[in-house]
Amino acid sequence: MNVRKIVTLVEETLTEGGRPVEPNARVAVVAAVIENPWRGQGFVEDLTAGIDEAASRVGEVLAPRVVKALGGTVEAYGKAAIVGLDGEIEHGSALIHTLKFGDHFRNAANATTLLPAVEKRGPAGVTFDIPLKHVTDATIRSHHQSIEVRLADAPHPGEIVIALAAASQGRPQQRLAPLSTEQ
Amino acid sequence: MGSLELFSKKVKPLLTNSTTAGSAEGAAGIRKIVYYQEEILLENGTQPPVPALRATAAAVIPNPWIGTAPDKDLAEESRTVAPPIAQILTDRLIEGLGGADRIEAFGKAAIVGTAGEIEHAGALIHTPYFGNLVREFLEGSSIICFADDRAEAGQPLVVPMWHKTEAATRSHYQTITARISDGPRPDEIVVVAAASTGPRPHARIGDRTTDPAVTSRILEGASA
Repeated sequence: MNVRKIVTLVEETLTEGGRPVEPNARVAVVAAVIENPWRGQGFVEDLTAGIDEAASRVGEVLAPRVVKALGGTVEAYGKAAIVGLDGEIEHGSALIHTLKFGDHFRNAANATTLLPAVEKRGPAGVTFDIPLKHVTDATIRSHHQSIEVRLADAPHPGEIVIALAAASQGRPQQRLAPLSTEQ
Repeated sequence: MGSLELFSKKVKPLLTNSTTAGSAEGAAGIRKIVYYQEEILLENGTQPPVPALRATAAAVIPNPWIGTAPDKDLAEESRTVAPPIAQILTDRLIEGLGGADRIEAFGKAAIVGTAGEIEHAGALIHTPYFGNLVREFLEGSSIICFADDRAEAGQPLVVPMWHKTEAATRSHYQTITARISDGPRPDEIVVVAAASTGPRPHARIGDRTTDPAVTSRILEGASA
């Protein structure tokens, strides 16, 4: 697996709606720009070989870094695969929709739920939003959130951006009633 | 792969006080701080001989001059708003990049929201209240190169950097793109400090010391 670049993004929100957010809300993203394992091979029916080559390794690279970048307990998390223009969206899905990838993050974050995800194809510099949900109970409404990401020069047509996102808490100024109140 | 030394768990007191009315930090009224870092492992398929981390730290603040006339003296707000931002942003860069001694190049930028003047960007980054502090905290001596712009939220801005003590060191001419997804609002300003721990990935275009004496005579076929 060839990694061209690793990008780290940390957003701290100090005020929202004109009021302080205490403690400051933190969301971290770490993204790896990798070569599409199926680049130049035409339509590959069985994606197993590429998954075996790259999925676990990229999960292993990203998971500890995003936990460290957040600098605290991970309360919500999500993932992304952004495929360059020459690839199939299925290539991105192949790398992130496998336990071989996600378990690295689940273990590092003491998480149990499925990771919400975005899969998309686009040019270098495309923006994408990573959805995040609570790490142990995906129905906890306060933690439904997303973060917008853009890498200036990725993905190239033959690349895939794989990213993990972690949040230290729920949305800034979250104040919606729990799901149970509507059931 | 290089290690990424990022933020400690400790929240700096400066930040927890950032909304305190009347304090220097409160004067800045920061809405959001965004740190962005790039580590290039391969460029043109080959590992850079001198690996470098590049980063920007950006603060989104209310424009303190919204609604003021173009002859308004900007000095007072420059003096109170810019210094704490310089400290907060350089703290992030130093922590993220592993220490001021590892930082070799720096740059700065500001993006003014559409209800402000481009001069408001200059008032925050082109005065000693920001530049001198960034230079001091990052342990440099060069003039700091810059970009400023007025834009809608989410517009990327390419921030130039050069060597922090030897500005003419060509290997360190480089850029990084800063972007805040939801800033600046029309009445906000995004202030950016940028730094790099090394040169461009495969810097190989010589330097002033190795340059031939090129003049316009080269257009007439002169060799140089």
